[in-house]
Amino acid sequence: MKPQVNIVAVVDVIGALSGSTLLNGNLCMMDDGGENSAHQGTPDLCTVVRPGQVVSWSALAVDLQTPVEIKNISFVPENGSHSSGQTQGQAQGVQNGNHTEGDKLDLDVWTGIVPNWLTPGVAYRYRLELQMYEGENSVMHIDTPALMCQ
Amino acid sequence: MPQQLAIIVLVDVGSALESESLEGNTYLFDNMKLQGSTNQGTGELVTAINGSYWRDGSQASEQVLNWLPYSLGSIPPTVPRGYEFDRARQTDEQALADLQDLASKSSVAGTDQTEQLSQVRKTVGARVKTTRRTRGRLSGQKILDVTGKVVTEDNTAAYTYPAPVITDIYGEAVDSKIMYPAEYGSPDLVTDGWYWSASVDTSRPGTYSYVMRIQLHKLVGLNGELRWEAVDLTCPSTLKITSEPRRNAFTKAGVGMLPIPPDAGTR
Repeated sequence: MKPQVNIVAVVDVIGALSGSTLLNGNLCMMDDGGENSAHQGTPDLCTVVRPGQVVSWSALAVDLQTPVEIKNISFVPENGSHSSGQTQGQAQGVQNGNHTEGDKLDLDVWTGIVPNWLTPGVAYRYRLELQMYEGENSVMHIDTPALMCQ
Repeated sequence: MPQQLAIIVLVDVGSALESESLEGNTYLFDNMKLQGSTNQGTGELVTAINGSYWRDGSQASEQVLNWLPYSLGSIPPTVPRGYEFDRARQTDEQALADLQDLASKSSVAGTDQTEQLSQVRKTVGARVKTTRRTRGRLSGQKILDVTGKVVTEDNTAAYTYPAPVITDIYGEAVDSKIMYPAEYGSPDLVTDGWYWSASVDTSRPGTYSYVMRIQLHKLVGLNGELRWEAVDLTCPSTLKITSEPRRNAFTKAGVGMLPIPPDAGTR
């Protein structure tokens, strides 16, 4: 077992902003876990992990000079109460007040330990929110990636 | 922080040559306005470089800078590299055709050969003299205007200038080992294959100045010959480096368990 699994979200920022979507190939997710993760290279990546492993997320822009940062990672409850009625992968406007939160995203390290109570074989889906530069439509999210214990 | 940062150095070459200074004739931009760069689009750009360090104090991020010089009022840098050569050859071919035409008509009475020869001369345009110092891409070329037409003797005022060239980056930021600039070769046609790049030590916050030495080219007529003469000017700019600790985004403190709610997960 590897002590750490790295998950990288590679974003075609210009494609995502032009099409207002992280789908259509604008987002590819990969991990370097030693287990058999499913859907590598897609926004549906299901990373196979083990309890106690450290998981670390990072975002990279295809165009190196365009800033892209992870704005938030949150695990979605099964009933989907997380959903705000947004179409998956679409842009969501920046709400009042949270505009300034984007300022120091580059300082964030998205790292956590896999808890030992996860049910094996169950996909724990999470919402990945990405911020691309600034402005009204700069934050987009997807709800499709997941972690799964074997 | 993005791994790379571009600083565009846009020079009004005509005005700079006239006043023999880059002051007020240079416009600097970078892509870090979001991160705090100020005075975008002026000569007083302050480039914000946001560094970060790990909890043990070691440097967590390094910034790479790329400087790209552009010229105001020139043929766009995106045209193919052989553009000037192609334009020159086309006018040569046109002039040969005209001469042949003139030769065949020379026996016809009433043809004003002087007038027609002068027309041909206009088509041919003027070629820049090659000198030891201006050998290379600039020499032997014809002078074009911004629309790509060959400049003739009567309208040498409207020619396009060669793009500005950064020949050195030095000053406080380099002396104090804040950044390590060097010139690199690249297959990128827009920058003519060469560009200045630097990596920045983000572990020592502060405001540091640096100077770019920029070479422009002035068209000089001497003894009936035209040549490009190099004019070296300097342009100062500033880096403002800050550095902050990295933090765990889930806990806002150290590493902990992933915040997975008990009711999450789908079978």
